[in-house]
Amino acid sequence: MKSEKGTVSAYTIDFEPVGRRGKCHKSESLLACAHYVGIGINSICGGTGVCHSCKVQVLRGNVSRPTSKELEAFTPEELAQGWRLACQTYPLTDCKLSVPPESMTTLQRIQVEGKELRVEPELPVRAYQSAFTMPSLSNPKADTDRLIEELNHKYHIHCNTIEINVLRSLSLQLRSWDWRCQVIVRDDQVIGLNPWQTPLLGLAVDLGTTKVAAYLIDMNNGRTLAAKGIMNPQISLGEDIISRITHIIKSPDKSLKIRKLIVEGINDLINSLCIEVGANPEQIFDAVVVGNTAMHHLFVGLPVRQLALSPFVPAVSRALDVKAKDLGLCIASGSYVHLLPNVAGFVGSDHVAMLLATGVWQAKGPIVAIDIGTNTEVSLIRNGKITAVSCASGPAFEGGHIKDGMRAATGAIERLRIADNKIQYQTIDKAPPIGICGSGILDTLCQLFLSGVIDAGGRIREDCSRVRNYKRQREFVLVGEEDHKKQSDITITQRDVRELQLAKAAIRTGIQVLLEANNCTENQIREVIIAGAFGTYIDVASALIIGMLPSLPLDRFRQVGNAAGMGAKLALVSSTKRAEAQSLAARIKYIELGTAPNFNQTFIQTSYLGRYRIREGKREGVD
Amino acid sequence: MSYTLVTALSDLREEEALKISEERLNSGENPQGILDDARSAMEIVGKRFEDSEYFIPDLVYSGEILQQITAMVKPKLKRNSQVERIGKIIIGTVAGDIHDIGKNIVTFMLDINGFEVHDLGIDVSEQKFVETIKETNINIVGLSGFLTLAFDSMKETIEAIKSAGLRDDVKIMIGGGQIDEEIKKYTGADSYGKDAMAAVSIAKAWLGGK
Repeated sequence: MKSEKGTVSAYTIDFEPVGRRGKCHKSESLLACAHYVGIGINSICGGTGVCHSCKVQVLRGNVSRPTSKELEAFTPEELAQGWRLACQTYPLTDCKLSVPPESMTTLQRIQVEGKELRVEPELPVRAYQSAFTMPSLSNPKADTDRLIEELNHKYHIHCNTIEINVLRSLSLQLRSWDWRCQVIVRDDQVIGLNPWQTPLLGLAVDLGTTKVAAYLIDMNNGRTLAAKGIMNPQISLGEDIISRITHIIKSPDKSLKIRKLIVEGINDLINSLCIEVGANPEQIFDAVVVGNTAMHHLFVGLPVRQLALSPFVPAVSRALDVKAKDLGLCIASGSYVHLLPNVAGFVGSDHVAMLLATGVWQAKGPIVAIDIGTNTEVSLIRNGKITAVSCASGPAFEGGHIKDGMRAATGAIERLRIADNKIQYQTIDKAPPIGICGSGILDTLCQLFLSGVIDAGGRIREDCSRVRNYKRQREFVLVGEEDHKKQSDITITQRDVRELQLAKAAIRTGIQVLLEANNCTENQIREVIIAGAFGTYIDVASALIIGMLPSLPLDRFRQVGNAAGMGAKLALVSSTKRAEAQSLAARIKYIELGTAPNFNQTFIQTSYLGRYRIREGKREGVD
Repeated sequence: MSYTLVTALSDLREEEALKISEERLNSGENPQGILDDARSAMEIVGKRFEDSEYFIPDLVYSGEILQQITAMVKPKLKRNSQVERIGKIIIGTVAGDIHDIGKNIVTFMLDINGFEVHDLGIDVSEQKFVETIKETNINIVGLSGFLTLAFDSMKETIEAIKSAGLRDDVKIMIGGGQIDEEIKKYTGADSYGKDAMAAVSIAKAWLGGK
């Protein structure tokens, strides 16, 4: 941990709209500060003020005078509006900055982004500032009785119990704080004491199979103080949920280990979030966790075998409140963790959180809400009715099972266009290409289809340039030796195309089955909400052209980022939102995709590329 | 370009394939020869599917063309040479699993390769397998499962067949998902196949061995 003394000459910099804060030393540029706290701001020229790619706008606070480089980069009007180059600017006070999207690198790909939602805090946990009378020989009342009586009297509340760990430390704490502190109360129980005038912190966590995102929240105003994501440490025991479950079934002693991995991962996240804002994990008095059903069960330590076998039943679907200590989370020892409700074995509380955050569950609709991942959950909302399916879309969009596929990281091709027989692509961090990630894979499929290299059935044509036979199958060379000399070629193979067809057909079939179950047609869909990391970065137009999504006008699609994380944040600060989550989850009717009437027929039809709609099991072309 | 029935059907050229079949039939050729060529073509289709060149819709399409050819040829077959079936097999997705796309492809390939397939569907209980073996006296069984946990169901199904005293009467193959030699041993099956064509060769080999 950083010593408090070292921060005297440091200022707090607030980066919007990501909503992250970090300490910046006087002698550090805003760019250096951004990079230190992990915000990816472009710096193509390496911070020399030449490339002008690190533009930020100072919204509040004082900064150093513009350098000659900045006078070149901006008009006087822009400078007056606070526009600066982050690499040339040094803070003189605490500052609030706005970082425009064009200045952001794509480095931060572990999905923590999501719109900041405003909700009136209605805290399940309250902090009461109190100064207590000191004990004396004439008033030698027990510390606990004094605290409860004075608190109840002052705030007209009815506290009656004190959590055991609070009891154990209370006498010492009250004296060391001169009888002034905040009393943290949950359901008429004192669950902790906090120093006078320190913020009440909360934690929201989105547990994904691949990624874990955590948010540190100021409970009193609902603002995100810091956000951070990590790869799920359980990956070491299996990339996908099923292999982790199999692992546990084969050796039951591993279930403790697999639980420990995720708990330690979250605890590390808590620590680094707290370091970032100079807080103590003991100040976190409430937490909300969302995740897919399997991750939920693995985290709580519930049996998982029945999740992986038909009829795929969760051990628990209702919302849970579990003591943080019992889960092993290192936050205030008296605090609880609230877990939002699950829906079914393969539709978890993360989907509930997404529906909660986007508010679509109350819409008239029809609205389709999709969370794309290794497992893709789709809901159709119509007149207050919610129907959901889960599609086994597989890891292709995470780069898995694709010959040159990779996760969204430095050097991954994330966008691709073919124009005039030339391949143009963009890689993450503008690094030399080393592979291709989900959004790039989707673009590639679309571009190869549009340029006629792949036919509607998905077959790579033999007589096209850059197509070759290699190891008993055709492949298309995206990046050959002439483009980058050091590494081996990057190609899309016929098998890759088949994997993608299976993945996208699964998603489209899910949507189609929901439409049919609700007697809806595609054209009636008012809006399609796309959530999740992959969904955030895809080019929706590409997804339409390959027939992954219904062929609708582009303005009916909305990409919402990590909506599950947003939902967790809402539930953290609002009891009403927690209740809403419970009631919306109870309203969801789950359909098992494999048992839907036209499943096989639809699946086969939706494996075709192109824009089409499905009617009575047949494909009809759409312009 | 002139097609033979084998190239036309294996290249999924519906019009040509039907035209050639009709011409050959009208020229008084033995209908059995046409069916034999169609079967060779379907073997090529299976091979191309195995190599990812063809995909599920292509298989379905090839099946549709084949069906039309068979419908055209059948009435002309002599009575005693009905579309001959080389063997019979029971197939099903084991209990706890509901995946059937892979199983349906296997069923399809077995069918066009001359097998009479008793497809029991998905989530098939151990008892159902045992009963069907008893009722039909069929001695080749295919257990399908995509879920990892379906391996346990396969094992249990094979044990149930054993307890019913039928294990020595049947040959059992498993397939679907990530199956390997290890899993074959675990479940107690006689063989496993990586894809639909493998299922056909295994079944054919078992016929020959009897």
